[in-house]
Amino acid sequence: MMNLRTSAAVVSTSVCALALMTAPALAAENDRATVSVLHAVPGLTVDVFANGDELLPDFRPGTLSAPQSLPAGSYDLKVFRDGEGPRGTPAVQKKIDVPAGANATVVAHLSADGKPQLDAFVNDTAKVPAGKARLTVRHVAAAPPVDVRAAGTPVFKDLANPREASADVAPGTLKADVVLAGTDTVALGPADLKLEEGTSTVVYAWGSAADKNLALKVQSLKDLHSAPSGVHAGFGPDSGNDSRTWPGFAAGAALLGLAGVVAVRRSAARGRA
Amino acid sequence: MHTVAAAVFAVSGTAVLTCTATGQEPRLPVPAADFGPPASAGPAPSARPVRAAEAVAVPPPVAVTVPRAGLNAPVTPVGVRKDGSADVPANPAFAGWYRHGPAPGAPRGSATLMGHVDSRTGGLGEFARLADVALGDRAVVRRAGAPPVTYRIVRRVTVDRDRLPASAFARGGPPVLTLITCAPPYRPESGGYRRNLVVTAVPDPG
Repeated sequence: MMNLRTSAAVVSTSVCALALMTAPALAAENDRATVSVLHAVPGLTVDVFANGDELLPDFRPGTLSAPQSLPAGSYDLKVFRDGEGPRGTPAVQKKIDVPAGANATVVAHLSADGKPQLDAFVNDTAKVPAGKARLTVRHVAAAPPVDVRAAGTPVFKDLANPREASADVAPGTLKADVVLAGTDTVALGPADLKLEEGTSTVVYAWGSAADKNLALKVQSLKDLHSAPSGVHAGFGPDSGNDSRTWPGFAAGAALLGLAGVVAVRRSAARGRA
Repeated sequence: MHTVAAAVFAVSGTAVLTCTATGQEPRLPVPAADFGPPASAGPAPSARPVRAAEAVAVPPPVAVTVPRAGLNAPVTPVGVRKDGSADVPANPAFAGWYRHGPAPGAPRGSATLMGHVDSRTGGLGEFARLADVALGDRAVVRRAGAPPVTYRIVRRVTVDRDRLPASAFARGGPPVLTLITCAPPYRPESGGYRRNLVVTAVPDPG
């Protein structure tokens, strides 16, 4: 059984989504942010402009851009049909504030009722507990609320566009599918998700239910592993009938530890002389 | 150097006397002093960690020996317990390899093997012999379907159990073998042994 850490994380659709959700600790890191862009509007090759400059030319549906380091700040994002920018009418437009240190994915996708929109999701780059993998699902499809199931058991329930849900789960291969919330009607999948220990896997459900082109897109965040909290490698002298005298050993070890420190200090002193 | 060696010997002698004075005779081997650089519980090395794909390509360890110290333990893969600590095989004759980290022979990071210092019935665990290792001892890890990896022991530290050096489970940085067991004092009221013995070895191609 999966151990769910969180239920549903809130994704704000406001222009200051990123600013609200970023911890102050990140701000001190530097003046840059890491931003990826996902194109999740079916059937529309686009050019993405940021503050009037072309950021991503000929960007095709289902494409996730490599993470880019961008100066923190406010970006006026405009998405044009291929070749129509930057002076034409954008298919979708939004001002997004990117604070320093943030790691975010900007997603051009369909709303629940099928209109193109832009949303910024903050990627959780907190360390994953030792022995776990992080799984995040983002609903960015023109579809009603859904449940996400693992091997037939709901993991995330009643997830609506454009929200996300996240949990730290056992690593391994997960057979996941997406059903209409509260039903067994499969909308998408099943698909095998390979969840690696110490990494975060972000799964986007995108496309349109009405157009029967729902699909999954996977984004991976690496190097989030933690060390185990400790190594408990002894049962103790009380665990058996053996009358071994550990206190003496302990005293010896403590004194020897002290001796070791003295030895190191002396070597250091000699090294300086 | 003579002065230092003499100081260590003198304190060892005191330790033995202390034990004897209590009227109890220790049966565990009393370890020689720790050696190598002291432990530091800082952040792990920032070098690029081993990618999972690379880790998979390195075969798992099946046994570890430190011939001079008489240590010889079969190795089994282990993960993490519910409390977040690394799992250790209940059988004290075995060592556990932390399977989420690098395997011995991987190009980067720490391959970590852990074993009990004692058994439920009061006997010694195979890793109690880490008390006997000395600077320069060879450690050999046998692997499934691949040549063994030979290491040279360069360091042993005894640390509070909540202060394991970050290098012990590092996934990046230079390749090392880390051997861990428990060390006294034993405090049953606060979860058992309070310290860990951590032995570090580096690849020894010769």
